[in-house]
Amino acid sequence: MIFRPKYFFGETFISLRRNFLMFFTAITTVAITLFIVGLFLILVYDVQGILTSIKGQVEVAVYLKDNITDELKSYLENEIKGWDEVSEVKYVSKDQALEKFKKENEGSEILKEIQGNPLPASFELKLKSPEKVEQVALRFTDKNGNYIEGVDEVIYGQNYVQKLFSITAIAGTIAFLIIIVLLLAAIVLIFNTIRLSVHARRKEIEVMKLVGATNWFVRLPFLFEGFFEGFVGSLISVILLYFIANYLLIRGEKAIVDTMHIKDLAILGNNNIIVYIYAGLILLGGLIGIFSSGFALKRYIKV
Amino acid sequence: MNMIEFRNVTKVYEDNNTALKNINLTIKKGEFIFLVGPSGSGKTTFIKLLIKEIPVTSGNIFVAGRNICNLKASRVPQLRRNIGYVFQDFKLLPNKTIFENVAFALEVIGKPSYVIKVQVPQVLKLVGLANRLNSYPHQLSAGEQQRVSIARAFVNRPPILLADEPTGNLDPTTSEGIMRLLSRINLIGTTVAMATHDKSIVNSMRRRVVELEEGEIIRDQKRGVYGV
Repeated sequence: MIFRPKYFFGETFISLRRNFLMFFTAITTVAITLFIVGLFLILVYDVQGILTSIKGQVEVAVYLKDNITDELKSYLENEIKGWDEVSEVKYVSKDQALEKFKKENEGSEILKEIQGNPLPASFELKLKSPEKVEQVALRFTDKNGNYIEGVDEVIYGQNYVQKLFSITAIAGTIAFLIIIVLLLAAIVLIFNTIRLSVHARRKEIEVMKLVGATNWFVRLPFLFEGFFEGFVGSLISVILLYFIANYLLIRGEKAIVDTMHIKDLAILGNNNIIVYIYAGLILLGGLIGIFSSGFALKRYIKV
Repeated sequence: MNMIEFRNVTKVYEDNNTALKNINLTIKKGEFIFLVGPSGSGKTTFIKLLIKEIPVTSGNIFVAGRNICNLKASRVPQLRRNIGYVFQDFKLLPNKTIFENVAFALEVIGKPSYVIKVQVPQVLKLVGLANRLNSYPHQLSAGEQQRVSIARAFVNRPPILLADEPTGNLDPTTSEGIMRLLSRINLIGTTVAMATHDKSIVNSMRRRVVELEEGEIIRDQKRGVYGV
């Protein structure tokens, strides 16, 4: 078969004009379904970003006994620095702790009550992987669950951290399932719409086959059309998403950040992943279009 | 030379309905034959087998000396380009003009546009519709639509033209016109096989008549009439 682009593109655009309603339906179906999928993806990606920044702020505070020897203290510090889970160790002396406390409670009545320095010295640990916080904390206890020599108490917001992690795990699974379901729904909807538009032209296919058109000759204009519908539809959805993400979501998130005092929040749009989401949606639209046309044709092409 | 030859051809459909039983028949180049018989006698099956729209159950069919039963799927389009096919219900594409409907048959087999521009008006002139190029099928009468369908089947100048009840939806006067057209196409050297149960047409034409009944040939007459 000789490939004749003029014929194929010509046919594609002639039928675009003549079957406008069908194309319009297909394109809007693609645009709406992929928009919903994309919006959800962006929201999930964003919430994950927020949760990750919150997780990153998990710290372990190791309070030391006042009678700890300098040898034991530096031994502990070196030991902690050697642990893989820990990214940063900061020693806060009794004096520094008191100063910090005074700063935080300036003008308060409490300061007058304080005599001497009741505050302990401590190590503040930052973690590479916040999920390991419990393991890290356990390293400061012996077999019987008592704190090792020199350590008075280890605090890492036990309840709060555990809840946060289980919530993020569950939310992640649910989000994943919803995305799968949405994606399947989108694929089925688009497939059905394109199948209808192929079905509407079965007579054309029959005539083509009976006058001796090869299968590929019948198929190509339909594949072009399917691709075109998928591509244009997904492009529209991406344009909509772009505006929504850039104007509405970012504003909303800034408001959240301001009220919740979250540091280093990964705000949407600061990240390249969103570009991959857009590119993925367009690719997906084009592919679904082509494959839907191809599958839908199978039934009619076997004359 | 034998244009079409059926050798012991049997066709049984999936529902175990035997449409043709052990058919043996030869049609020579340039012949005009009527396939007659009541509905369900196997006329349409006969035609569908020739263009490989359906496969044979047993036996062999030769077109221009070539066995089409073991033809590869990729060669079927080539076979169909040598056989024009006229339907009872015309099968014109409603959203294409008359010119485009006929041109379509050439486009889809990859003919260049300068050939199309010459051949389509020529064949539309032959069927008497030279002045309706830009009309749409619904703007034509049934007889005119059938002429377009014949033009489409013949535009590629196939050596064989098959017609399945081409006058089935037409009144007697219009049918006569269609028959004159088919005769003319036959005179140019085209082998024509036409399935019909239009008695008056068969009787007036005096051509070869093959009568089918329940899938078997019960009569094959050189210059026959519809019924004995």
